[in-house]
Amino acid sequence: MLKISNYNSDILHDISFTLENKNLIILGSNGAGKTTLAKVLSGVTKSSCVTIDDKNPATVYGEKRTRLINYIPPKLEMYDEFMSVAEFLKLNQLYSDISINEVLKLVNCGYIKDKKCKTLSSGEAQLLLLASAILHNAKYTIFDEPTSNLDPQKIKNTFQVLEDNTILQNKIIITHNLNLAYKLKYNILYIKDHKIVFYDTNEKFFDEQNLQFFFEDSVKKCDDNIVVNI
Amino acid sequence: MKYFLIFFSIIILIISPFFGQIELTFSNIFDTSKMEYQIFWELRLPRTILAFFVGAILALSGLVFQTTFRNPMSSPFTLGVASGATLFTAIAIILGLSSFISFFAFLGSLATIIILFMIASRFHSSETSSLLLVGIALSFFYSASLMVLFFISNLEESYEIVRFTMGSLDIVGFKDLYLVVVAGLFILFIVKYFQNSIKLLFVSNQFAYLKGCNVKRTNYILLISVSIVVGICVSITGPIGFVGLIVPHIVKTITQKSADKLIGAIFFYGGVFLVFCDLVARNLGTNSDIPIGVVTSFLGAPFFIYLILKRKKQ
Repeated sequence: MLKISNYNSDILHDISFTLENKNLIILGSNGAGKTTLAKVLSGVTKSSCVTIDDKNPATVYGEKRTRLINYIPPKLEMYDEFMSVAEFLKLNQLYSDISINEVLKLVNCGYIKDKKCKTLSSGEAQLLLLASAILHNAKYTIFDEPTSNLDPQKIKNTFQVLEDNTILQNKIIITHNLNLAYKLKYNILYIKDHKIVFYDTNEKFFDEQNLQFFFEDSVKKCDDNIVVNI
Repeated sequence: MKYFLIFFSIIILIISPFFGQIELTFSNIFDTSKMEYQIFWELRLPRTILAFFVGAILALSGLVFQTTFRNPMSSPFTLGVASGATLFTAIAIILGLSSFISFFAFLGSLATIIILFMIASRFHSSETSSLLLVGIALSFFYSASLMVLFFISNLEESYEIVRFTMGSLDIVGFKDLYLVVVAGLFILFIVKYFQNSIKLLFVSNQFAYLKGCNVKRTNYILLISVSIVVGICVSITGPIGFVGLIVPHIVKTITQKSADKLIGAIFFYGGVFLVFCDLVARNLGTNSDIPIGVVTSFLGAPFFIYLILKRKKQ
């Protein structure tokens, strides 16, 4: 069980919720504090308010932490110039039985295996991060905007990987892609003005009236897809 | 290419003790009655070993700095650590505490690293260039302090300090050598021991943290170890610039490998590089040896720029 209680900072106010071995989608406008929340949950930003299976991820090291939670940033940050994709993935191979070749096939990126990480396009790098999350396979994996750099086909492929509950354990996905959120059917947590203003089922969130309340006329349901209304 | 480099390096290491102002022949160095015996065993051989280990230590220290401070321009010299050690050594000379030079040099480098690390922890991880600027500012501050020391010291002390700041591999016998060899093996062991963490740190601090690494502790241990060994080197040879900065880059650029696989190579070629520079310094035909720091910069800088340009093309 993942639990955060009474977390307060400059960016987030009164954050409390629990997640019992389930997937979750986190939505919210730009600058609302979603990434901050992800970093607090994963222990990157230290706090005493988070517990995962009664352990605080910010105070344990090694396997104790890696088993609990993993955070996947929107962009691959890489200092070393010469590290190859295969080498990078090997560093992530922790609690999954999938091989590096298989995982690259799964994200449709087999051809990047011998490339240097620094030379990847932003889309390829994002798929590499998805692959790294699969290899790590922590109990909770937080994806920060996993589709922000992808073309439509790759978004669809990413969706299929995320939808398949046999590949990863529990997923927490931060996204602006409402259709992805809608189709994944996970519970929704919505952050507005630094606070949690909605935490309930997918069905309730994507109710026409509720959509109108949160997004006014900027989105609409069309053919059972959520589209941006321009 | 790889085997050629290794072969060439070993040749340099072997021939180095035989060339200098007095040429030695192989047959005479085992004859205890000849002066060549003493020159070889008391001067040349210790000097070559000293050059090798100092070069190796500086190169590996450069790698550690570039990793922990996440900036390719970091080295014990660009960040002022060696200047700190130099300043403290000069203080030891002036206070008449020449027998505590190593300890003072260590204090100087440790103090500088603590200052740098405290400042670095206030920066956002993307602001690595600010840290470099702090290092440069520190270096200027140290050299100004050194000037003050010159000003208040007497002629004899000034001369000793000047000789020291020029950097020199002059050594007699094996006494000081043991310390450097132990320091070299120590830093090699530490870096090898933390190889996995270093590899994670090559991606990013956040990544290393998420893979279970205790980033702060690892950085502290690595930096304190480096300050110890750089302090020891500086106290014996004086500051020798440029090796720590360029050797990791040269080895990486030539091999095109991620640096965690190159720890041994950087150690070895760092040593070979300094032995080679020393060989050049002793054999330019002038009456006295050229300061070693001059040669490292003279040979290193153009080659380094050439490599950067070549890489830009790729």
